[in-house]
Amino acid sequence: MSNNPFPLPKEKLLEAYTKMKTIREFEERLHIEFAKGDIPGFVHLYAGEEASGTGIMMHLEDKDRIASTHRGHGHCIAKGVEVEGMMAEIYGKATGSCRGKGGSMHIADLSKGMMGANGILGAGAPLICGAGLAAKFRGDGGVGITFFGDGASNQGTVLESMNLAAIWNLPVIFVVENNGYAESTSIDYALAVDSYIDRAAGFGIPGVTVDGTDFFAVYEAAGEIIKRAREGGGPAFLECKMVRFFGHFEGDAQTYRAKGENEENRANKDCLKIFRSKVTKAGVISDADLNKIDDQVLARIEASVQKAKRDPLPTQKDLLTDVYVRY
Amino acid sequence: MGPLVGIVANPVSASDIRRVVANASTLQITDRANIILRVLSALRACGVQDVLMMPEKSGIRRHITRAYERAANLKEDIFPQIHHVRQDITTTVQDTLKATAAMREAGCKVIIVLGGDGTHRAVVSQCGSIPIAGISTGTNNAFPKHREPTITGLAVGLAAMGRVSDTIAFEGNKRLDIKIGGRADDIAIVDVAVVTERFVGAKAIWKPKNFRELFVTFSDPEVIGMSAIAGLLEPVSRREPHGLMVGLTPPHEARMRLNVPFAPGIIGAIGIGEVKHMQPGVPVRLEFPAGTIALDGERELAFDQSDDVTITLVKDAFRTVNVSGIMNYASKQGLMKVN
Repeated sequence: MSNNPFPLPKEKLLEAYTKMKTIREFEERLHIEFAKGDIPGFVHLYAGEEASGTGIMMHLEDKDRIASTHRGHGHCIAKGVEVEGMMAEIYGKATGSCRGKGGSMHIADLSKGMMGANGILGAGAPLICGAGLAAKFRGDGGVGITFFGDGASNQGTVLESMNLAAIWNLPVIFVVENNGYAESTSIDYALAVDSYIDRAAGFGIPGVTVDGTDFFAVYEAAGEIIKRAREGGGPAFLECKMVRFFGHFEGDAQTYRAKGENEENRANKDCLKIFRSKVTKAGVISDADLNKIDDQVLARIEASVQKAKRDPLPTQKDLLTDVYVRY
Repeated sequence: MGPLVGIVANPVSASDIRRVVANASTLQITDRANIILRVLSALRACGVQDVLMMPEKSGIRRHITRAYERAANLKEDIFPQIHHVRQDITTTVQDTLKATAAMREAGCKVIIVLGGDGTHRAVVSQCGSIPIAGISTGTNNAFPKHREPTITGLAVGLAAMGRVSDTIAFEGNKRLDIKIGGRADDIAIVDVAVVTERFVGAKAIWKPKNFRELFVTFSDPEVIGMSAIAGLLEPVSRREPHGLMVGLTPPHEARMRLNVPFAPGIIGAIGIGEVKHMQPGVPVRLEFPAGTIALDGERELAFDQSDDVTITLVKDAFRTVNVSGIMNYASKQGLMKVN
């Protein structure tokens, strides 16, 4: 009998950890760099939520499309977008994923199936219906996944898209990353129908809630949902309950949080710590292996920041290029 | 204050992966609130004035508060006063465990439970000798019997008000105790299933090729879930002293295969091995070397070759409200007659 009790082989577990750690260090570093004032625009950090994006994206291929959010760095990295291009993009450099014209909230890489982060809340949902419809017509088993937060879940676009996905039986998955706050407004206040599963049921879409801090819970549930969508089973809804380590945006004073909430989240709801504890206790991966990945990730993030700082800005002649893109 | 009745309503039961892999039902928050309102009316009709509820923040409380406001506006005095247990809300099973312990401390006469087998199991782990009355709002509801909640509320109200003797009102139930390495790790009230998956993950179990061993406190051919396997082999009532253990094998390797509704809407072939009675108080050692132990339908405990795992059937481990017995007694004795 294999010593590995998990549903992924060791190399895939290492890949998942590397992705989650890369997201974490990318965001932790941006938290520092943004405070220095060198980064244009806004950044919304995904730290604390890594198990959700990674647990889902481990099931996806490049042909599968995702539509992300304003908090999209983690989705990009989990989907395979190059960290160096992302960092340069956030710094507004010509070497960025979108040649410095998008910034944090518009990173896209169609070659990886990443249709883009999105500054408009809930705007990814109708886009993913288009991707889902295309996959259905192509019949290639592709799926589309849209992410949104608990705040954006109240947008009409999300609800309209759920209706459309249901009536067209699209291979689309709606993922609400429920970190408890719509910017600074608690979901306890802002949700008229208090359960996301109730909402999905209203459209005849099956819904599942999982612990979004547990990579394995997300991975297993997402696997079943994605397999079902690939095989023609239609749309589904997945709620990942999670925490975000930083504020809504960088600079958010987070006065809406309870005293000690951030410390509690870091101590007991850190998906990376939970993952590390599970795989090391099972004896599948050693702390030394994971520490080595930590060092490699830190070095990569450091190099990407230094390169982004050195890289050139777009020039005036670049202003009217890349305005339209062929999907 | 008169007799106090506790209510534990799990707002997030029936939301696991079985909505996707099976066509398991979703019970909306408003429906859960309406069930509680019907129970509350029934309790008040029997004279219960005070109820202690588990707090939650998934919407049940808000819907009930609105109903109370409407009743007050209409000058309808039909509900008991609701008190909430003072505790932090985590939206995890911890809420149920803490609230039940608080209800025990507060001296509740009965605790009404809204949930599936998992929620009932959590309450049983903390309720001590306080009887529970189950209302099924979960996925597999082998333990709580399907019944209109108003009737459950009436039976609980009559029992709580002392209108029915304890010998009629309450009955004992069996429980399964799980020990790993001699340490009491957990309990189950319907079934313990051993599956080959060695991680907890999304918790639910729905892959027959991974089923290996099954232990049940009772078995009923009319229920859904793992205990349905035993129910279709040999029904064992809740009152009989013994339980049942069933060896399970991958269907393609089995000499005997049985079509079983092991999840809502899923009827699949299960490979059956040896079937034995399980006697109370006699620990049974797990034969399968490594996997996960599912308690009342959900993977909870992972174990491997280094763990010594035993399962023990315990008789009269906790009490439930005998709704049928109470209502029949109420009929014979005219307890519902209006003076």
